[in-house]
Amino acid sequence: MNEVLGLQRELQGAGYIAEPALAAALLLMLDLGRPLLLEGDAGVGKTEIAKALATVRATRLIRLQCYEGLDVHSAMYEWNYQRQLLAIKLLEHDERPAALKEQDIFSERYLLKRPLLEAIGCEQPPVLLIDEVDRADEAFEAYLLELLSDYQMSIPELGTVRAVSKPLVVITSNGTRELSDALRRRCLYQYIDYPTFAKELAIVEIKVPQAAGRFAQQVVEFVQSVRRMELQKKPGVAETLDWAAALLRLGISTIDDDGAERILDTLSALIKTRDDRTAFTRDVVARIAASC
Amino acid sequence: MLSVASSAAPLAAPLRAFDPGTALRTRLTGFAGFLRANGFALGGADAVRVLQTTLRTGVLDGLVLRWSLKALLCGRGDEWRRFDALFDSYFLPPNRTAFTQSESVATSALDTAQAATAGSPAEPAAASGQGLAEDAGTGQARHGASREESLLSTDFRDLNRCEDARGIEALMRRFAQRLRHLQLRREARFHHGRRIDLQGTIRRSVASGGTPLRLAWKERRRVRPRLVLLLDVSRSMSPYSFFYLRLARALCAELADVYCFIFHTRITSVAQALRDPDPWRSQERMHLLAAGWGGGTRIGECLSEFNREQSARLVHSRTGVIVVSDGYDTGEPRLLAHSLQVLRRRARRIVWLNPLLHQPGYSPQSQGMQAAMPHLDLLAGGADLADLERIVADIIESLR
Repeated sequence: MNEVLGLQRELQGAGYIAEPALAAALLLMLDLGRPLLLEGDAGVGKTEIAKALATVRATRLIRLQCYEGLDVHSAMYEWNYQRQLLAIKLLEHDERPAALKEQDIFSERYLLKRPLLEAIGCEQPPVLLIDEVDRADEAFEAYLLELLSDYQMSIPELGTVRAVSKPLVVITSNGTRELSDALRRRCLYQYIDYPTFAKELAIVEIKVPQAAGRFAQQVVEFVQSVRRMELQKKPGVAETLDWAAALLRLGISTIDDDGAERILDTLSALIKTRDDRTAFTRDVVARIAASC
Repeated sequence: MLSVASSAAPLAAPLRAFDPGTALRTRLTGFAGFLRANGFALGGADAVRVLQTTLRTGVLDGLVLRWSLKALLCGRGDEWRRFDALFDSYFLPPNRTAFTQSESVATSALDTAQAATAGSPAEPAAASGQGLAEDAGTGQARHGASREESLLSTDFRDLNRCEDARGIEALMRRFAQRLRHLQLRREARFHHGRRIDLQGTIRRSVASGGTPLRLAWKERRRVRPRLVLLLDVSRSMSPYSFFYLRLARALCAELADVYCFIFHTRITSVAQALRDPDPWRSQERMHLLAAGWGGGTRIGECLSEFNREQSARLVHSRTGVIVVSDGYDTGEPRLLAHSLQVLRRRARRIVWLNPLLHQPGYSPQSQGMQAAMPHLDLLAGGADLADLERIVADIIESLR
């Protein structure tokens, strides 16, 4: 338990408020050396966990942003063709045998390291963040599985590259596609929900220190009521922070129904679709503000 | 075999002599089995991992153990939400007996059901001959009528009926194959094509000393659209709902990227239940999901719930949404129009199949249909297999 609380405190020092359950999962991940799969709605702070973990462990954060059509060349490695061509031209007048020249051309100097290769090549284990893995297609997921099981990859021209150290792998998913069972089985799992009132208040206080006391409470109360409404896109934690900063910038230091007009001006930081915006009339805002 | 027997031996030990270490180990490894019995996707190795984890965390602090095992054993959101209750019921004595008992009763009932019907898979081969010819619509209507008195407990045996199973499977296979030919705007390297892949060409030219002798090509990659099926299972649709459910299951078996929902007054996802490889377990799971089956319809509300809860996750610019409904709606038509409009903006296409469309004397005059029409890419019939056969080409064309 002390270990868990210790890690929780360290994460807080790095600017991340974590529940003890999450801290326990992170400890287990460090112990067992297995990847951690984080699921949850957009904007609940999944990516931040990896950043905070890197800070706590005083190590590099290597990030691979997944997207549809992501392939081996942009995730693992690619040869620097232009430099290789230049080298070929320069080597034309070299007297060395061809085999040696070829070895030279396909050496690490001409290898462009993409995030995955970079992560397994670090002396000190880095945090490898594979962000939004559900956006990549199934083929890439299978490739990833191979990497995650033996931490090695093969480059035909160079041979097999083994991991110098095992990276700490954090995988996030927004659930736009069902992930394969094989991937789930290899990972520890954590579902991140929207933060509770107390947690969100702590986050606001740590990230926007100017918003203190009653004002911070009102901001969080307001956002939490907005989340209970039926919206297309619920505001995440980042939106709360933006909004608090926006309010402060406009010199609003208390939320009440008198200031509904001015609150309306700042809602663009909180509400991100047109349909949702039309749901927020002056009356609605005044009603929520009055209850804060 | 020998090594398995020797490693299993300590687990049997507590029966003979009480040893706290072994008892604890058995209890902990039993937890993985308990979760598996409750539908968690766990394998044999997980029991070992439970022990490994416990060695690190210790068992004295219940909370740390709970959090660690939760991270270790859960794999998806619904497991995550159910875990705490199961953990309590396993490790806290009073609840546990009642819970596990009911669980074991449920599984044994399933087992006998499976054993009793084990002979039936041989039947489709015999029945498929005339099965193809038999009109699915009338067959379903007969079953629909017999279900009238037992609306509360719908009989899901229809889901496993074998007549024209072959026909449905064949049709869905053809549908899936033709979907494969739809092209979308993604490019990949290709061995021939119309456009030159510059980077690939340079890469190839390295072999010939920088002279691009062979060209590399780019071609549009073929990506099948994702399909979302929304099936109306209200009372007015009852002659068709099982037919469509079976179609959906055959389609799920062909394609990975299909998501199926049923709706009446609420909307429920049945994708997982339909994908269950064991037909009788699938039937059992449908039972649990089907509360409200055969009741009224509130299409608009269901669609707006779908928009709210699911569409952000499921519907993207490659998604074709197929709604199967007769359009008889007890809800507000304006809401239906609005939610279809919202869905239309997100999805690639919306296809509406109305089984009544080709019935003599029917015209889509109902308020629901009128509200929906402006937002559809295709409105088609589809009362039975032969009918669907005719419109498959149209559906494919409209998904393009």
